Amino acid sequence: MARFKNKKKGIFKSVVKKKQQQQPNVDHITGDKIPKSFVFSRGKLPPPLKQLEMDLRKLMLPYTALKLKEKKRNNLKDFLNVAGPMGVTHFLILSKTEAAPYLRVARTPQGPTLTFKIHEYSLAVDVAQSQLHPRCPQDLFKNPPLIVLSGFGNGDQHLKLATIMFQNIFPAIDINTVNLSTCQRIVLLHYNKDTKLIDFRHYSIRLQPVGVSRRLRKFVQNHQVPDLRSLQDVSDFVTRAGYGSESEADDEAAMVTLTSDLGRVNRASTKSAVKLQEIGPRMTLQLVKVEEGLCSGTVIFNEYGPVGDQKKDDKEAKNQDDSEESEEDVEDEED
Amino acid sequence: MGREKRNTVNDASPTVDLKSIIHQHSLFFDTLVELIPAKFYLPVDDDEKPWFQGLSKGEKALAKKESRENIKKARRDRLDPEKSNKTTLDLLKQNLEKEKSNKESDDDEEEIEIKPMMMSDLEGDNRSVTYEELRQRLHRKIEELRGGRNSGSSEKAKKIELKREKREIHLKKRKREFGSGEKKPTTSNPSDKVEKDITEAAKELAFSHVKIGNEDKHGKNKKRKLSKMKELEMARKLEEAKKDPEKGEMIAKKHSWKAATSRAAGIKVHDDPKLLKQSLHKEKKRHQKNVEKWNERIGTTQKLKADKQQKRSENIGERIHQKKMRKIEKREKKLMRPGFEGRKEGFVNQNAA
Repeated sequence: MARFKNKKKGIFKSVVKKKQQQQPNVDHITGDKIPKSFVFSRGKLPPPLKQLEMDLRKLMLPYTALKLKEKKRNNLKDFLNVAGPMGVTHFLILSKTEAAPYLRVARTPQGPTLTFKIHEYSLAVDVAQSQLHPRCPQDLFKNPPLIVLSGFGNGDQHLKLATIMFQNIFPAIDINTVNLSTCQRIVLLHYNKDTKLIDFRHYSIRLQPVGVSRRLRKFVQNHQVPDLRSLQDVSDFVTRAGYGSESEADDEAAMVTLTSDLGRVNRASTKSAVKLQEIGPRMTLQLVKVEEGLCSGTVIFNEYGPVGDQKKDDKEAKNQDDSEESEEDVEDEED
Repeated sequence: MGREKRNTVNDASPTVDLKSIIHQHSLFFDTLVELIPAKFYLPVDDDEKPWFQGLSKGEKALAKKESRENIKKARRDRLDPEKSNKTTLDLLKQNLEKEKSNKESDDDEEEIEIKPMMMSDLEGDNRSVTYEELRQRLHRKIEELRGGRNSGSSEKAKKIELKREKREIHLKKRKREFGSGEKKPTTSNPSDKVEKDITEAAKELAFSHVKIGNEDKHGKNKKRKLSKMKELEMARKLEEAKKDPEKGEMIAKKHSWKAATSRAAGIKVHDDPKLLKQSLHKEKKRHQKNVEKWNERIGTTQKLKADKQQKRSENIGERIHQKKMRKIEKREKKLMRPGFEGRKEGFVNQNAA
């Protein structure tokens, strides 16, 4: 009998298919829920904005749906319904009106919605074209980026809310177990008090050891055999240090002492320079509205004061949304 | 005789020779002791040993990291020529002094008096060296403080340095202007102003969340989930409070901001009585459904049981019946003689008449 049982098990095993690898919902290490996001658009967008949407999706990798397909007839409710079981916590919604494109950052179940007006933006391809040596290593988007917010201060509530919102879009770092090689990207948001504009930048982080001549560094990094034809001796190659690189005139501030080795070149407990190179989109945002619900609910902060009707009509003129109807309902309630 | 002579010779200048001999002995022993690393020579306090067993995973990781860093730091300090290297001898002296202060008895004081006398020659040299070193260090510190007092901006620069050391682990970038401004604390006015702006901006930096590992657990133990009924009550109270004419608006605003910030942070806020009612309703329905299912299960098991019992009793009855029939058969077989077919069942005409 035992033999029969074994045979049966064997048959079943061969039939069972491999489950597709799913993204973890809960971080193994910290035990917290990992925030995931959807980036999509409402209404028809011109091609540059569609590119911006793709750039934002790449930015939010790995915890986002890169190939999310949305159809014209999809409502916000559809996205909500899908978001629940998949563990998606944030929505980034792009839309366009005659005035300007808007970006809405919302937290899914019933969270607050922050509406940003995009004054200016540049696409990732433009940024790459403007650089002499654009850089995109392979596993740049395998790890979530770090985020730095500056100038938001501790004062105004809507700014505080924006800080908390952005801090929670990306997963937290566990300093006990974090690996230096996973911190490869950084998102910078700077708030300018005078103009009330938020600058949005996205950089890639690179560490270079300090005090090593350029030739040696390149040699160790790339393992390319250098050309020694003109030299008498290998010592010439090694000792002809050179002027260092032009950015050796780096200030102390951008140097850190690593706690562990990183890659081939950087060694622990030696100084390395932190170099940032811009990738990804560049945006100038202005926080115009904070709503209590997901694109619905009462407006708890409005940049232009309580004159809400005009703006709302502007915004949702071209979109056929459930949210529009609910907003109108809310308007009626408010009045 | 010889021994006596030797003794007298020794007695002639007892204190000087004795002292020098003892001095030489003690020098020899001191050099020996200095060769041994303090770790092996001095008695180890059991309390100082790290105890890893009772801790959780996160705490263990932290503690191990701390001890590793401490070991590294200690090794660096030991091999650093600029920092004071305490020889085993110095540490031993420290320990002895500690014991001294702990005991506080006359006998020990007498012993201690003897010791400093003996070691006075030794300590004379050592003390002078250490005094000089200490004096130099003191001078250096005073100069640093003096330098710091004059220009307020370098104080801020120090604060910034501290902050930066903390952030080294995270590898966050600093703006270039800020960095260059820090390195040139000149007294020219425009750069000063720029620096002030930069340092003010630096105070307002916020970063992504960092998990340290221990704190959350305690917090979670304290919070408990309120039952839904209670939450519903609270939500209703809140609504009524909002309707209150005087403070209603303020309460409403405060609550919306609070709810928005906690929702943005990931904490679930249950403040809508409608939704709470719905979920209570759902829970009730679920409960009812479960009760029904359970009853059904009980019903079916009972039914099956009853069926089986019935079938069993039927079978038993059948068996008994069959047994009886067989006996009758057997009995009747005997009467199946040719010419006679079974028992007499009465007369042929009985029924007709």
